[in-house]
Amino acid sequence: MTLRDFTDLPLDDLDRDGALRQAADELERTSRAGFLATVAGGVATAAALVRSPAAAAALAKSDVAILNYALTLEYLQDAFYTEAERKGALEGPAAELAQVVGAVERAHVKALRDVLGKQAVKRPFFDFRGVTEDPAPFTRTAVAFEDLGTAAYKGQAHRIKSPEVLAAAVGIHSVEARHAAWIRYIAGAPPAAEPFDAAKSVNETLQLVRATRFIVVRPRTRSRRRPRYTG
Amino acid sequence: MPDRVSVRVPDPGSAVRAAVSEDGTTSRERFLQRAVVAGGALVAGGVIIGGLPRLAASAQSPEQDVEIFNFALLLEYTQAAFYAETVERAELTGELFEFAKVVATHERAHVDYLLEALGAEARAEPVTDFGNATTDPDAFGAAAVTLEDVAVAAYNGQAANLTKGALQAAATIISVDARHAAWVRSIIGEPPAADAVDAPLTAEEATAQLDETGFLQEERR
Repeated sequence: MTLRDFTDLPLDDLDRDGALRQAADELERTSRAGFLATVAGGVATAAALVRSPAAAAALAKSDVAILNYALTLEYLQDAFYTEAERKGALEGPAAELAQVVGAVERAHVKALRDVLGKQAVKRPFFDFRGVTEDPAPFTRTAVAFEDLGTAAYKGQAHRIKSPEVLAAAVGIHSVEARHAAWIRYIAGAPPAAEPFDAAKSVNETLQLVRATRFIVVRPRTRSRRRPRYTG
Repeated sequence: MPDRVSVRVPDPGSAVRAAVSEDGTTSRERFLQRAVVAGGALVAGGVIIGGLPRLAASAQSPEQDVEIFNFALLLEYTQAAFYAETVERAELTGELFEFAKVVATHERAHVDYLLEALGAEARAEPVTDFGNATTDPDAFGAAAVTLEDVAVAAYNGQAANLTKGALQAAATIISVDARHAAWVRSIIGEPPAADAVDAPLTAEEATAQLDETGFLQEERR
């Protein structure tokens, strides 16, 4: 299962809980409203963002949408590396990368959820279809995820209004680029193939995510009824 | 799969040029800012590096973009000269030399990008002395890590001070420098991505770290 298996499934079939759709709709709505507001001054650090859990109330709607879009991508990466580490099928540098990058992506999820508070989108359900258990597809998928994460953050940075959110976003953006170069190095692919990295739009990004079919409908095996006593 | 997520070289000219377009009315104000900043830029090694962006963040402006891009140009000039000299001396081998050859072309492209954006406002190229860092593998690795990490942190530290168009342009460079940092760190066995979020540096901090390398001799007048 790779990103090349591009299918035309409607987003709703893959995303019944609506995380992706919600993020995409919000971004579309707020981008129509324009980005004319001036960003006020203030030296911002990522740490300040992480340390301000009540910040969501003060965020512009467009910033909430961008953060939820980022959170959706971080959920995907978090689940991917965490599952790879748990399955234990990787060895050597790839196993080390899964462990370190998994911890970092979980930290990104936590930071974004802390900032968004109740406005955070829900975690989608994932099915990685064996990719986390097989070194070659794991590596290829990780390269795609990190290149995509870099391009997706790059596509939003200039639209962010809050200086604190922007500071955190650019700090995460360059870490995603480091991850991309790291996994590419392990895979024997060029860590930095071009002198300039292009951005990806929301639509381009979501289309790629959908094409993986890693985000799935909520598993239906769960029953709402309590199991009957069978002893 | 990689072909679906590969990068493209953006049109270097238009976005950046638009972002830093001229506004002659503020040249006096800009001169005063420069004077103030240069006065505060005297750092440990005694090298005065002019053209620093204002340290306190304020509303973005094309004039401030020029200051920041000129600061970025100093970093990129230093990187480009470092890798070009490494390639020319050709004493490194293996992975490190392959890295230097590829990255030399990238840093030269970054310099050209900024030169085109800045036009007549571009600063002069600094005089550099890299000592044995362009010939000795250990010294080269350490220097490359410093130059790339500092560049990433310096760009990140200016993100909120850039106009939106200039930030878009700068972001296409930042992640490539971050890739370089992770690449050389992988080669020499250092953690490629040590932190969850890359910490920013102020212009003053970045200048101090650059000055500590001793690579910058003086400003060419």
